[in-house]
Amino acid sequence: MITTDASLILDVNQISVYYGQFQAVKDVSFNVRPGEIFGLLGPNGAGKTSTLSAIEGLLKPHSGSITVAGYDIVKEPLQAKANMGVQLQSTSYQPELTITDILRLFAGIYGVKLTSPEITKMLEDIQLQDAVGKKFGQLSGGQQQRVSLLISTIHNPVLVMLDEPTTGLDPQSRRQLWERIEAIREQGHAVLLTTHSMEEAEAVCDRIAIIDHGRIIAIDTPERLINLHREDPEVISVSRKGKITLEDVFIGLTGRAVRS
Amino acid sequence: MAIQIPATKEVLAALMRADFTTVWRNRRSLRLVLAVPLIILISWKGLVNHLGGFVVLSSVLTIGLTSIGLMGYTNSIARDRDKGVFQRLRVAPVSTWTIMFSRISVQVVLIAVMTLLVFTIGYAVDGIHISALGYLTGFVMTLLAGCLYLGLGQLITGLIKNPETVNSTTRLVYFAFIMVGMFGQFGVLGTVLKGFVTWSPYGVVQKALAGSLQPLSWTMDHSLALLGIVAYTVIFVGLGVKYFKWDNK
Repeated sequence: MITTDASLILDVNQISVYYGQFQAVKDVSFNVRPGEIFGLLGPNGAGKTSTLSAIEGLLKPHSGSITVAGYDIVKEPLQAKANMGVQLQSTSYQPELTITDILRLFAGIYGVKLTSPEITKMLEDIQLQDAVGKKFGQLSGGQQQRVSLLISTIHNPVLVMLDEPTTGLDPQSRRQLWERIEAIREQGHAVLLTTHSMEEAEAVCDRIAIIDHGRIIAIDTPERLINLHREDPEVISVSRKGKITLEDVFIGLTGRAVRS
Repeated sequence: MAIQIPATKEVLAALMRADFTTVWRNRRSLRLVLAVPLIILISWKGLVNHLGGFVVLSSVLTIGLTSIGLMGYTNSIARDRDKGVFQRLRVAPVSTWTIMFSRISVQVVLIAVMTLLVFTIGYAVDGIHISALGYLTGFVMTLLAGCLYLGLGQLITGLIKNPETVNSTTRLVYFAFIMVGMFGQFGVLGTVLKGFVTWSPYGVVQKALAGSLQPLSWTMDHSLALLGIVAYTVIFVGLGVKYFKWDNK
């Protein structure tokens, strides 16, 4: 029986996703609570993006249910989407639009009224006050990520979903983004992020789920996962410096083979 | 506290503002799209007495519609789909119909602008004078016929995903429509091709437009051409919507 806990911001309940005959996601269940940063980790092709796409409403799960702030993503997609902010892995906007145009577009889409001074203030907050008239493509990778995160939180959503937000960023930009993600948590909102960086998962995630071959194979806090698996022979065998890390646990659980 | 979905009119207003801004910032490509029919119109000045003003105006409007539908709309949809612009919009509380409605509205405005420019230059440069009713029914018919070419563009983006292939296909179709349509309608390419062109998307639009510009001389042939427009539009839009994918994966 499927039940939904009203206190959960995101409740993913036994979802399965198929591409033709191929089952990419197999009975995946997890939830995200208010004030929590939840990491979804997995090797390439493990089912992370498919799971995320189902939550975002980009594809319909074959079975199971997903609720965002109590709204079913299949039955009430607009209400569910209104309560989430999404930063896609490769976000793009019309190349002709300036940052101000893009902010106005998404503010309008989310029903937020923004004045010009408010836009300036928002850009000042992310140290991009000089980018008002610039096009998105003219910004550096780190600046683009800051703008994307700003857009995904423009309506103050209860759930923010970030798909590999720090890929390609330098350490300074990455640290800055982590602080912004933590600030979202401090407001009592929830964050679901996917990442390939175990350092990132350990640094910012309160709980993580490791997904492989479409199934969740572990779910807990980073510390507890490390403690739980520190005696596993597979984990010990991949450990590099004697100290067991989250990356050792991840490789121990998902295998050494490189995924395409 | 849960956030409520924004009003559809607010969402549409935001989308349309962005889409019009995009077209406006692409003024060079906009000028090219509008230039083709106007250059043909001006260069055909000497043919007005020979072909008749209605034939010249309707042929030029047909070329303009092909230009907007294939070169403008189709390529912008293919590009934005490839870049992930639609995916970003689809994860927001936006119905897919509002995204398309906004895109099509921009094209309809472009068609209206092109029609008014053709009427104005046809009057001022080529000396083509038609009745006020003719201008009105011609304007309405151009908007209706525009749906056919927007539908054809939709079909091309439905069948082809790669934006570069879409671009080359639209150029090829555009070239074929103009060359085969223009020469075919005058019988230069033979009677068989003339018959084919008459009932092609080019021919029905040209004929129905010619009829609408002189509404008092509307005949059964014009009615059949109008039916042809409706039939082609239904087929193109139906297949285009059926096969259209919002992403390239």
